[in-house]
Amino acid sequence: MATRRTFIKKAALGSGLLLAGGFPFESFGAEHWEKLTILHTNDTHSHLEPFPMDGGKFQGQGGVAQRAALIKDVREKEEHVLLLDAGDIFQGTPYFNMYKGEPEIKAMSMMNYDATTMGNHDFDAGIEGFAKQLPHANFPVLVANYDFTNTALEGKTKPYTVIKKGKLRIGILGVGIELHGLVPDSAFGNTKYTDPIVAANTIADKLKRQEKCDMVICLSHLGYKYESAKVSDVELAKGTENIDLIIGGHTHTFMDKPLVMLNKSGKETVINQVGWAGLRLGRLDFVFDSKKGSKLSNAQSVIIIKQTRGF
Amino acid sequence: MGACHRPYYIEQRYDSFYTVKGTEHTDSSFIKMLAPYKEKMEGQMQVIIGHTDTTLTKMQPECTLGNFLADAQLKAAIKTGSGAVAAVANYGGIRIPYIKEGAIRLENMYEMMPFDNVVVIAEIPGNVMKRFCDHIARAKGWPVSGIKFDMVGKEARRIYINSQPLDEHATYKIAINDYMASGGDECDFLVPLKKETTNIFVRDALISYVKELEKEGKPLHPKLENRLQYGD
Repeated sequence: MATRRTFIKKAALGSGLLLAGGFPFESFGAEHWEKLTILHTNDTHSHLEPFPMDGGKFQGQGGVAQRAALIKDVREKEEHVLLLDAGDIFQGTPYFNMYKGEPEIKAMSMMNYDATTMGNHDFDAGIEGFAKQLPHANFPVLVANYDFTNTALEGKTKPYTVIKKGKLRIGILGVGIELHGLVPDSAFGNTKYTDPIVAANTIADKLKRQEKCDMVICLSHLGYKYESAKVSDVELAKGTENIDLIIGGHTHTFMDKPLVMLNKSGKETVINQVGWAGLRLGRLDFVFDSKKGSKLSNAQSVIIIKQTRGF
Repeated sequence: MGACHRPYYIEQRYDSFYTVKGTEHTDSSFIKMLAPYKEKMEGQMQVIIGHTDTTLTKMQPECTLGNFLADAQLKAAIKTGSGAVAAVANYGGIRIPYIKEGAIRLENMYEMMPFDNVVVIAEIPGNVMKRFCDHIARAKGWPVSGIKFDMVGKEARRIYINSQPLDEHATYKIAINDYMASGGDECDFLVPLKKETTNIFVRDALISYVKELEKEGKPLHPKLENRLQYGD
């Protein structure tokens, strides 16, 4: 597979030179660019199978076997893929009532998710219930603003992780929603919620400066935006400095295009969310360059994207 | 830690999404993994527990799925000998858009009410009851049983509990669920009240309601009754 991808990459460069009438060797041949493909889900809510063919709006859509096939296709064509989820894996079909999340987590491990965060419904079998399914997970659960000290999840989640993809270092953190009023007190027990914006800012700064990450991604279960001033992805983007991308959830928002905002330091933060129930798989492709602001010409990057995506 | 890392900068971004569908394009290893879970589950979930002669639907301010839910909750609460006179459920707790006319399977009840919430009987003073009804009006209507009122803007007017006009000095025993009782859906005003938590899952209340009608040879006959309506 690696051979095929290498071939595609080289072919991309080759045909790029031909199509665009030739770029200077220095700018292209040295391969100072790198590409990352991010696939994402949120609020899959135990929808392991497609919706039944009953005339409903979503009939025939969704399903882990179908999602996995799409992911496999992308992984075959792309060298650097991240697969991320923004929480609420649990609750929504009888699978959850009967098996308490075991097949959901097993399916995510089989798809090789790189990380998830916790949604409010991931507490529906109690903290113990979620902890019990973690041995089936081969991916980290990232949450920076829940303190699980003295609970069954103590030491079993992480605030962030750093993943290397080719020449890139990608920092990923997670934030969760206020639990009081949303989740029964008995279900979250001793979990302490702290301000997600404060937590995200601290971690994102660390990822950019200390961990030297080229990109910082925040998995968020705060919700896209609210009429009130309640903390949301939009508020998170406005209130933080070093987050490049927010993969959101909770509000089940079907965003056909991501929202691009300016963050606290005037830099772009992208927010995206793909509805719920695994009906959609989101995809974002980023082209990186080792020269800041060198701005690959549109022609160049269109060629990179087209060739490597096999349009 | 990444000290000698050569930095890279985001220069371009492309977005798209896939609609997940299609029976031909599947990864069979997932079908295989799910098979034992599915088989055991379906054996239980496909059992027919009753029938409905009309499609039940979800909408606001009043809907047939909501009336069914609130009626089932009240019936279960009355059976415990609690003295409950009415019931309220949060609209967001109904997790399916409809149940089609015909057979009702156990599966439908799990889909409608996946949460393991239990029935709670709250003792609600008349003035808090007024606030509760205003809250329901602001939320554009929630499922109720034994309660009737008009929604005027964000306010509840002409409130009747158990067919009597609301008495601000009386105390009412109302069947709710533990999610609302602990302040869910902004029901913080219910938190300090005296309450009795039953061990009856709301879902089991729905199942019993359907099964009992079936035993009497009757299907559900859902209809709108103007329990909540807009008007001056």
